[in-house]
Amino acid sequence: MIWNVWKKETESYFASPLAYVLIGLFSLISGIVFFNLLVTYTDGIQTLPPEYSQQISFVEEVVLKFFANVNFLFLIFIPLITMKLFSEEKRLETLDIYWLSPMKEWQLVFAKYLSALTLVLSLLLMTCVFPLVIWGVGIKDLNLLGSSYLAVVLNACAYISLGLFCSSISGNQIIAALLSILGVMFLWMISWGGHLNSNYIVAEIFTYVGITSHFERLLRGVLGTQDIIYYLSFIFIFSVMTVKSLGRRNW
Amino acid sequence: MNKILEVERVSKEYPGRVAVSNISFHVNQGSIHGFLGPNGAGKSTTMKMIAGILPTSQGQIKLFGETISTDSLYHKNLIGLLPENAPLYLDMKVEKYLQFVAKLHGVKNVKGQVDQVMESLKLIEVKNRLIGNLSKGYKQRVGLAQAIVYDAPFLILDEPTNGLDPQAVVELRDFIKGLAAHKTILFSSHILSEVEQLCDQITIIHKGKVRASGDLTEIHRKFRQGLVLKIGLGIGESLPDLSNFGKYEVTHHSTLANEEQFIISFVSEIDIRSELIKFILSHGLKLMTIQAEFPELEDIFLHMTETQR
Repeated sequence: MIWNVWKKETESYFASPLAYVLIGLFSLISGIVFFNLLVTYTDGIQTLPPEYSQQISFVEEVVLKFFANVNFLFLIFIPLITMKLFSEEKRLETLDIYWLSPMKEWQLVFAKYLSALTLVLSLLLMTCVFPLVIWGVGIKDLNLLGSSYLAVVLNACAYISLGLFCSSISGNQIIAALLSILGVMFLWMISWGGHLNSNYIVAEIFTYVGITSHFERLLRGVLGTQDIIYYLSFIFIFSVMTVKSLGRRNW
Repeated sequence: MNKILEVERVSKEYPGRVAVSNISFHVNQGSIHGFLGPNGAGKSTTMKMIAGILPTSQGQIKLFGETISTDSLYHKNLIGLLPENAPLYLDMKVEKYLQFVAKLHGVKNVKGQVDQVMESLKLIEVKNRLIGNLSKGYKQRVGLAQAIVYDAPFLILDEPTNGLDPQAVVELRDFIKGLAAHKTILFSSHILSEVEQLCDQITIIHKGKVRASGDLTEIHRKFRQGLVLKIGLGIGESLPDLSNFGKYEVTHHSTLANEEQFIISFVSEIDIRSELIKFILSHGLKLMTIQAEFPELEDIFLHMTETQR
């Protein structure tokens, strides 16, 4: 049943121009970002005296910054992917199809989650050419690339769960997307609040609740249990909220 | 007759508004049950509660003797629903969409079942077209197809002929009549003549309350607002005193080519024609014609929804 809905949703994404526009734009922007980071790095090496240029790290200046930028792109791209998943169904009153079938709310949420993740992974697939370039310049660090991709994928998973929830509470796709963007920005701002707050405990809470610190640790290859727990509980909480929101049937 | 659906004192409240208030009625197995009411009467809300899609605020709904709710799995696959707005994915092709719905309901022979339903609803010719590009009539047929593709024994059809052209209405109506051979149908409509043609039982709902429910003929009898008789006597004859039969009023008298015609309005709710014939003949009058006019469903419906405003 989950497979049936996943297949239908994924086909629906790729039957519309939206998936191709998103994949094209994402490839273009991430390509430009990567190219700029490379140019800035090589310019730095060539223009600075050797004693300074040796201190510029390719990993810091290109690899980590590139993946941080991919995360930034997700702020816009993932809400565009998740916005229609429930709000469109609510607008067209098509959810009745599922409520008459033996399918449960969580199964529907899971199927839609997987279809959104499929499209996000398709976007990320387009960036696979960049690790080849990184590999080519001699950074043959599989751990670094692996943890960077894991960080980006986990962030995407969290954003998708938030986006799905936003889509489930609004019958308007645009509002769902805006709520989702604001939600992600809020998660970032909490992290910034952690950096700015002078109270240690408050700062620690803010840092833990915000997503940025977990992302940055993973990006640098530090795979901590607390980060994994953070991501899993984040996804779980928003998925449960989505299921509850659908269960209310208040449209 | 088996009651397959029992709606018992069901209410649905939204914040600041009561959509349905303490309604009760039942649907017998194998019948087409008409569900009548003006816009905003609570028909669609009731139908969605019966389908287990909307939770009730109070009361209970039993299908085949089991209580159903939005949480229960019992009624799944037992109810086919065509809501007022057919739940269609406009970016899907007809055949794929029906296969999708059939798979959701765990239909074993998906292709065979979908082909059969498309054949019966004459959808084969559009099976590879996007639903969004179809005409209103075809969309409605696809909507009906999704309601019957998993062969549910109980169908809920919310104004299925609304907005269709006359030809499509006739075709759809005939199809629904055919379905009644092996399914029980709850059918709502604004078109009263349609309900009279299709349904053997009806429930009239107004402002969230049931005004009448039962056999169509029974409701006709029960809510008859008196009886109008057209009596033709021989030329020059006058009408005897009929006050033995109850209060009456001669509303019209005219002399036709071969009879004196009287139109008489009785308050009586029972059919008094046979006694009246004997009475007139006993007075030595020539009874040329006698004809009773019973109020149409439309009259009853208007009476129900107007007098109780």
